[in-house]
Amino acid sequence: MTEKTYIKRYSKIHRLFHIFIVLTFMNQAVTGFSFLFITTDLGEKLSRLLGGYKTTFFLHKVGGVLMISGFLIHILYLLSKIDRRNLKTSIFGPDSLVPNLQDIKNLSQRVLSFFGFGSLPKIDRWAYWEKFGYWGVFWGMPLLGITGVMLMFPLLICSVVPGWTLNVAALLHRAEAILAVSYLFIIHFFFGHFSLSKFPLNEAMFSGRVELEELMEERPAWVERLQKEGKIELLKAKAPNPWYRVLYFIFGYAALACGFYIIIKGIDYSRYIKLH
Amino acid sequence: MKKAFIKKSRTVYFVFGIGLLIGLAVLVMYLPDPGRSQEEVVSPYITRLRERVRTGYQEGYEVKPRMSVGYDLMKGGYYEGNEVRPIKRTRDEFKAPGVLRDLFPVSSTGAEVRIRSHLPDAHAGIKFYQQSTCTECHSRQARSFHTDRAGINCRQCHGAEPIPAIKHYYSPMNPIRRHAYVCATCHEGANDLFAQYIIHEPAPGALTTKESFPVFFYANWFMVLLLLGTMAFFIPHSLMMFLQELAMKKGKTGIDILFPLIPHRFKATLRKRFPKKKAPEK
Repeated sequence: MTEKTYIKRYSKIHRLFHIFIVLTFMNQAVTGFSFLFITTDLGEKLSRLLGGYKTTFFLHKVGGVLMISGFLIHILYLLSKIDRRNLKTSIFGPDSLVPNLQDIKNLSQRVLSFFGFGSLPKIDRWAYWEKFGYWGVFWGMPLLGITGVMLMFPLLICSVVPGWTLNVAALLHRAEAILAVSYLFIIHFFFGHFSLSKFPLNEAMFSGRVELEELMEERPAWVERLQKEGKIELLKAKAPNPWYRVLYFIFGYAALACGFYIIIKGIDYSRYIKLH
Repeated sequence: MKKAFIKKSRTVYFVFGIGLLIGLAVLVMYLPDPGRSQEEVVSPYITRLRERVRTGYQEGYEVKPRMSVGYDLMKGGYYEGNEVRPIKRTRDEFKAPGVLRDLFPVSSTGAEVRIRSHLPDAHAGIKFYQQSTCTECHSRQARSFHTDRAGINCRQCHGAEPIPAIKHYYSPMNPIRRHAYVCATCHEGANDLFAQYIIHEPAPGALTTKESFPVFFYANWFMVLLLLGTMAFFIPHSLMMFLQELAMKKGKTGIDILFPLIPHRFKATLRKRFPKKKAPEK
């Protein structure tokens, strides 16, 4: 039996950020949904499960503050990653998450390939849907954070801005939350886990490594680039520790189940959503 | 080379810094005055206050009615000297002409409603008033977070009978003192700016909201279109990707699995035009 070779795809800090955002986002989603549907039995049940309206509200606030601080730390991390000497390649290069022309080409190639034209796009390190998800979260965080803080301290905020901004803030907070939940629990889950080789749980984000064979199919341009630069030997890693694997499988299944429960119940109860 | 780069970046930072300061100054100029929680106010906006001083124009609710005596809301009458007189005997500030004479009480222009909003008793002269509920007429005002979430009823804010119109000078609901008399009963320290929160929010998607609360309207439609656009693009995209993967595994091109309903001849021409690709070797 030959051993499979693994390639390191995510560093420890990437995985830590991901686990952090999974935990805080789940907290925000569950507590937030309990407010959104508080007039229905779903909201009541969720609220009761988490210890009543006030406790849920407290949890939501704590989660929000944690999320904002995590986001600020993430921005510091991003700034530390910018290489000032080769500014152009470090921002618009293939290792960066900033969308570039190649993504548009990949997207059009992929859409054409759905209709039988052309071949599949050769994707580099980050696919365009991953970039879309990342920037979706990146712009959603400040929006949710700022409106959330406004709603947290209405009296303080209203010593400066007129009260109708709170109406708009509440609307934006809800709408953005619904957008985030539906994007993450439908599309992000789909891209992450609903492929023949990965179903039902994609380990890459937890173990940080992917099999080389798999990677050659999914990210051919990246593997090519690594081989050309001779960096591929540096990124080779061993198989993940089985005990760690058990741990993250439990965590991953729990998160998936939680997400699916929320999105299915949310769609079921969506007729009660009022955006006012 | 390096020095020039540093020099250049310094000028860039300098320009950005100055720009930021100017932007902040402009923002501060256009912000309203800091809110006041216990005072009577006319308008929190400096610009509007200046305009009022310049033109001498004031809204009806800002002007005391023509009487030299106080008005007791609790007892529902006027004080004239030591004597309390019922509302009916005194002259109203505004008269409501033709109230409820016709089948439909609200006129098409809304003039009667506007006049009613200045009366000491907003519902004076309405037939069967005692037998009806608030939301029978004020159906739009049933939309309220306070009712939905906190279970607050109309009377807890609008007061007992006679309910004074919100723009009557002595009404606790008058924007001059609403924050102190109504909002601050629960939201301790509420100021005039806080009281500008719109309790009876309009339906955000409705076209009438475009006129009454445009920011709300556009914010709502922006978010709704963003959500629909994202879903409309990515759900078919991911489904197609899944089907494509299935097709690849079976060694077929996209045409066979995605378009099973295409007629045979057309399919053949398509295949001639776009020849079948070999399955990826494993």
